[in-house]
Amino acid sequence: MSTVDTGERRRSGESRPVITELIDGPTIQSIAEDAWTALVGEDEILMPLPGELPGNVLSSWVDVVGPWTGTVVLTTGRETAAELTRALLGEHAPAELDEEDIADAFGEIANVVGGNVKAALPGPSALSLPDVGEAPAVRNPADLCRVDVLWRGEPLSISVQGALPALPVPSQH
Amino acid sequence: MRALVIDDSRAMRRIVTGILEGLGYEVQQAGHGREGLDVLDGGWLPDLVCVDWNMPVMDGLQFVSAVRSNPAWRNVTIMMVTSESEHTQIVRALAAGAHEYVIKPFTADAIRDKLALLGLLPQEVAL
Repeated sequence: MSTVDTGERRRSGESRPVITELIDGPTIQSIAEDAWTALVGEDEILMPLPGELPGNVLSSWVDVVGPWTGTVVLTTGRETAAELTRALLGEHAPAELDEEDIADAFGEIANVVGGNVKAALPGPSALSLPDVGEAPAVRNPADLCRVDVLWRGEPLSISVQGALPALPVPSQH
Repeated sequence: MRALVIDDSRAMRRIVTGILEGLGYEVQQAGHGREGLDVLDGGWLPDLVCVDWNMPVMDGLQFVSAVRSNPAWRNVTIMMVTSESEHTQIVRALAAGAHEYVIKPFTADAIRDKLALLGLLPQEVAL
């Protein structure tokens, strides 16, 4: 579990809070553990230990728009995302999972974790539909709270990352 | 007893359907509110609708309002099953006409307890 804070907190006169002022790693971990217990299985444990993500990862995320605006992102290896899908679906899992099954299940887990993160933040806020693919870029390292866990020994990260300020648009020559 | 499960996530539909079928319900599924209304329009009237909030095409709150605006569907009990857990959202859903509210993540026991409160546990299960 780690919280990145580069010290670039807020510029003077800027009233928008950064995520580390609103939520901490243990709270995010607790939200994720509740989601795992209810959705994946009562005996499923998230160990608060960092692990090295494999090269082939998949992310799922939801956007939160409100007094704090940003994204709740889950990232893990593609194989782990598939295993997570099988665990979530249990006896209802098809013999062979397709990409849509994995995107749907992994997206729903992001939706549940994101919805409960949103509830812990100042409101009112709106929650987007989940998306799955390559994780959105971290726009401001000071506006990031990241939790690293192991599920069944495999690494998984949960990042709550601010959407503002926008990334600079690359100049075109 | 009949239940309609409306959620844009296939995984969540399977989970909720599994719980309800385990309690003896006959279940149909829909991927968003509009599809849910199509099921009701088709004449398949459920005792219970479990509906998510955030969905494409027609969200859960719009679905609840549409159901409540049709007197023919006044006996349908609606339970929101959603990750929207802000108090203001719960109040909005209940004001629109939902009877109960279950926050994701939930357990099978949580669904069963809500159904017991609503008097919607099939008799053989309630005994």
